[in-house]
Amino acid sequence: MGAPLTGVVAIRDLPDERIAETLARHGFNITTAEARRVAELLGRDPTVVELTIFNTMWSEHCSYKSSRRVLKEHLPVDAPNVVLGPGEDAGIVRFAPGGDGDWWCLVIGHESHNHPSQVLPVEGASTGIGGIVRDVYCMGADVVGVLDPLRFGDPSGPKGRQSIAIARGVVEGIAQYGNALGVPNLGGDVVFDRGYEDNCLVNVVAAGIVLESRIVRSRVPVEARREPYVMILIGKPTDDSGFGGAAFASEDLAGEEKANRGAVQVPDPFLKRVLAEATKKVMEAARARGVAIGFKDLGAGGIACATSEMAHAGGFGVKLDLDAVRKALGHFPPAVVSCSETQERYAMAVPREFAAEVLRIYNEDFELPRIYHGAGASVIGDITLEPYYSIETAGGLVCSAPVEVITTGIAYDRKGAPRRRRFEEPALDPRRSLRDDFLALLASPNVASKNHVFRRYDSEVQGRAVLRPGEADAAVIAPLPGRSVGLAFAVDGNPFYGLIDPYEGGALAVCESVRNVASVGAVPATITDCLNYGNPEVEEVFWEFTEGVRGIGDACRGIGHLSHEGAPLPIVSGNVSFYNQNEAGKPIPPSPVVCCAGIVEDYSRCRSIRFKDEGSALYLVGEILDELGGSEYYRAIYGALGANVPRSDFVRERGLVRAVIEMHRLGIVRACHDTGQGGLLTALAEMAIGGRGDGELGFTLDLDELAPLGLPPEKLLFSETGAFLVETAPGIEREMLALCARNRVKLWRLGEVRRASRLEVVSRGASLARWDLAELRGAYLDACRPIFGVENTGKGA
Amino acid sequence: MANSFTGAVAVVQFPGVNCEYETAAAARAVGVSAAIFRWNEDPAALDGCLGIVLPGGFSYQDRIRAGVVAAKDRVMDAVSALARAGTPVLGICNGAQVLVEAGLIPGIHWEKVDLALAPNVMADREGYYCNWIYLRREPTNCLWTKLYGDGEVVPVPVAHAEGRFTTEDAGVLEEMKRGGQVALRYCDASGAVVPSFPVNPNGSVENIAGVCNREGNVLALMPHPERAAWLRQVPEDLGDRWARRRRAAAGDQAALEGEGPGRRFFAALGGAKGGSR
Repeated sequence: MGAPLTGVVAIRDLPDERIAETLARHGFNITTAEARRVAELLGRDPTVVELTIFNTMWSEHCSYKSSRRVLKEHLPVDAPNVVLGPGEDAGIVRFAPGGDGDWWCLVIGHESHNHPSQVLPVEGASTGIGGIVRDVYCMGADVVGVLDPLRFGDPSGPKGRQSIAIARGVVEGIAQYGNALGVPNLGGDVVFDRGYEDNCLVNVVAAGIVLESRIVRSRVPVEARREPYVMILIGKPTDDSGFGGAAFASEDLAGEEKANRGAVQVPDPFLKRVLAEATKKVMEAARARGVAIGFKDLGAGGIACATSEMAHAGGFGVKLDLDAVRKALGHFPPAVVSCSETQERYAMAVPREFAAEVLRIYNEDFELPRIYHGAGASVIGDITLEPYYSIETAGGLVCSAPVEVITTGIAYDRKGAPRRRRFEEPALDPRRSLRDDFLALLASPNVASKNHVFRRYDSEVQGRAVLRPGEADAAVIAPLPGRSVGLAFAVDGNPFYGLIDPYEGGALAVCESVRNVASVGAVPATITDCLNYGNPEVEEVFWEFTEGVRGIGDACRGIGHLSHEGAPLPIVSGNVSFYNQNEAGKPIPPSPVVCCAGIVEDYSRCRSIRFKDEGSALYLVGEILDELGGSEYYRAIYGALGANVPRSDFVRERGLVRAVIEMHRLGIVRACHDTGQGGLLTALAEMAIGGRGDGELGFTLDLDELAPLGLPPEKLLFSETGAFLVETAPGIEREMLALCARNRVKLWRLGEVRRASRLEVVSRGASLARWDLAELRGAYLDACRPIFGVENTGKGA
Repeated sequence: MANSFTGAVAVVQFPGVNCEYETAAAARAVGVSAAIFRWNEDPAALDGCLGIVLPGGFSYQDRIRAGVVAAKDRVMDAVSALARAGTPVLGICNGAQVLVEAGLIPGIHWEKVDLALAPNVMADREGYYCNWIYLRREPTNCLWTKLYGDGEVVPVPVAHAEGRFTTEDAGVLEEMKRGGQVALRYCDASGAVVPSFPVNPNGSVENIAGVCNREGNVLALMPHPERAAWLRQVPEDLGDRWARRRRAAAGDQAALEGEGPGRRFFAALGGAKGGSR
């Protein structure tokens, strides 16, 4: 603290207009009031570096300044299986005993990378995967999978060409990163709508596994009280890529796409993979020597944010020497070195005594400097007992303040106001052809097979796959070799429900993801969420956001934790992305996206959705109501949104998932599929076609079986009320009835799976429509081909 | 602290490979010991090993061309010498690309690059492709396929963007065929070699999926047998006897932990003579 402060920016004595000019000149997004608050906190004018740090830390992306109060009020974050809730890089829940009282834990993180992907789709999406896997690695975990919920503009809309180019680029970026890193893709979903044409959504989930005793925290460990600790920076040489990235993610894109390209980071899965291998050896060495370490990935705000947060979390200080940072060629001012978001970097706090061994593992054993120009591990500073944060350069001090000042948060009380819109049901046209309409529905890009996307991703690497994307409602892996435990993952979020009712948009996203996980027999263990909305300063948008969060929270409590009576389904990780809107400032449809992770006792009972055996019985578990609001049928066939959005019923939902999980435990499920987007008939067709597109068994649906529901054929076939279709052995109807009665859910026996390779709907003895599987296959498998590039699937391997 | 690989399978970890752990596990599943050899360890440690596997991934970031940088690595001198002396060497996916770039495959002219694994290009599809395909075991003296019957159909996954075996020199192809070096071809579930996608996933000449050297101890294989070494890995929706076996094992975890279609590639090492020099 002896050195003089350099790069001081005058704030305190200036009028607001001059402050605004200064902030604009430096490219800062913080307001003049916020800049004054910075000066007030410091008790003096800030340096450029300090302003840069606050500019990042107080961005919406990092500070959750608009959202935090809403999240705290509504979301349940604790349950008996939770090891670590939201707050660090990723959340953690236990999933299986690990011997000697230890537990195997699932580490899961959920992020968005929307704005960068709109500007540079390949790099933006790639970096999204890179960032989220780093969040999981840095907890000491092995990453076992990624998922990617995506939202793009309408491929046949006025900006269709651009939307297709973005969709292809995003898929390419995810593929490039995940495939090279060696992490299997466990699925995702894709929704197309004009509402995303100026602002695509690229959400990413990463999952990892770690023994509870080996979890590494993102903080300087308490052992630093007893012996000297140092801060090590590891990875790619620091450059100016991603400078201002967090702030970039927190503003709208209108007209500034090109100017902001510098804010998109440059990812590198190759380096990430080598870093992961080397870090494993460092962790082994630390365990062998009984050394405690702190480890954190560098994300938003780079070196300054990561190191100050690690120090703050442990109650220590840090004294950094910026000149010791490995830099790429070129001259970078201190603010850039301190805060750029150069990818593939980590910070590690280790005892000074252990530092040489850490450097040797990274720099010599794994030869980072040789295999990647400028990369490596270096000591960049000391941990101090006094909780004070300073950054020094040869030219003087560029940052100097108590740690708690640097990490001081900021919060706003935003107001919400309901959006007043009238919604109407379309009048059904009895002259329409069910036969033609259903082929059109199956070929709607939102319903049609996404195999064209899945085949671009490595879903097999690591050898843990049990059910792959597209084969079932959730992907399943067997994470522990030789053991029966499985992990199941599904992501969901239907923006069209939220357009009509943003509360249901949130609640139904949870219900649907829980259903998808239960569909393979897994017990839901945790939820993560990514909340994508427009500008929170707009009252109607903030209302949509608040309603969505309320819906998610209610669903997590209402369905509850099936393994811990009375506990909620906990949300252990999440992300908020605001300012998603088009050039005219129109927000995207409310888009809460939810991931549910579930635990399977015995993965051998997990089945694909495809019909298995001729003569099997097929049941509908649940019910169908007049709920076509936001349905794909209304949108694709009538060009209408409708009004009667599915109403979440958490008691029914809980009964449904309990019943289906029990069926799996009894080993009576041959195939199971939930009826979601596209309704009952779409689900039937998908079971006949099969995830690989080569199913050969058919079904005749007699609507008279469902007559008590009192709905016309179109509504029975295309309502999106959540229910399950279950194929079982014949002759167990009595057991099925008893099981469903126990769980207070309805059961309908629909008929038998048949050898005939066609699907038919009959009513009162007359055929309403009939399709050969070949034509269904054609509609379903080919529709997304032109969007994601030329590919010919269908029959074959 | 140098490891010794005497009597064990060495799985070579070049920077950027990403299948080393499951490959080692697949070898262990047949009862042999296996360990990871980091690329810059002392190559002398490989002396006396039971076999060498170059696993899949993206060695050296696929810089210049997939496999070409690793092919020039110091450890490849040792791999070449051991291979020439008869040590079994298997290159899977990126490992196959390394073996081709190092000239060990086809190895007609030792260490001369006579083949290429070119980008996937077909009439109606190109680029990266991940899916299960079927392999047909061809008549050959290949050590790695010796436990499969002639014409046997084996489902395994592929996952690559550059897996199209091709050569500028038609003579090389003829010589490979004459010498029984075409060890495996892509086929359909019935064993028919159909040249179009998706049976042939990458446009490989004559549907070639795996090429061995004339002596049969070195195999460059694009598909991933380590991802098909356990029955649980087989998709139950596939259309062959392995999928039927998989479906019949539903609810029986012990059965699903049993042998998968790709395991016999590794089991071949059980009877192999290791460490001959």
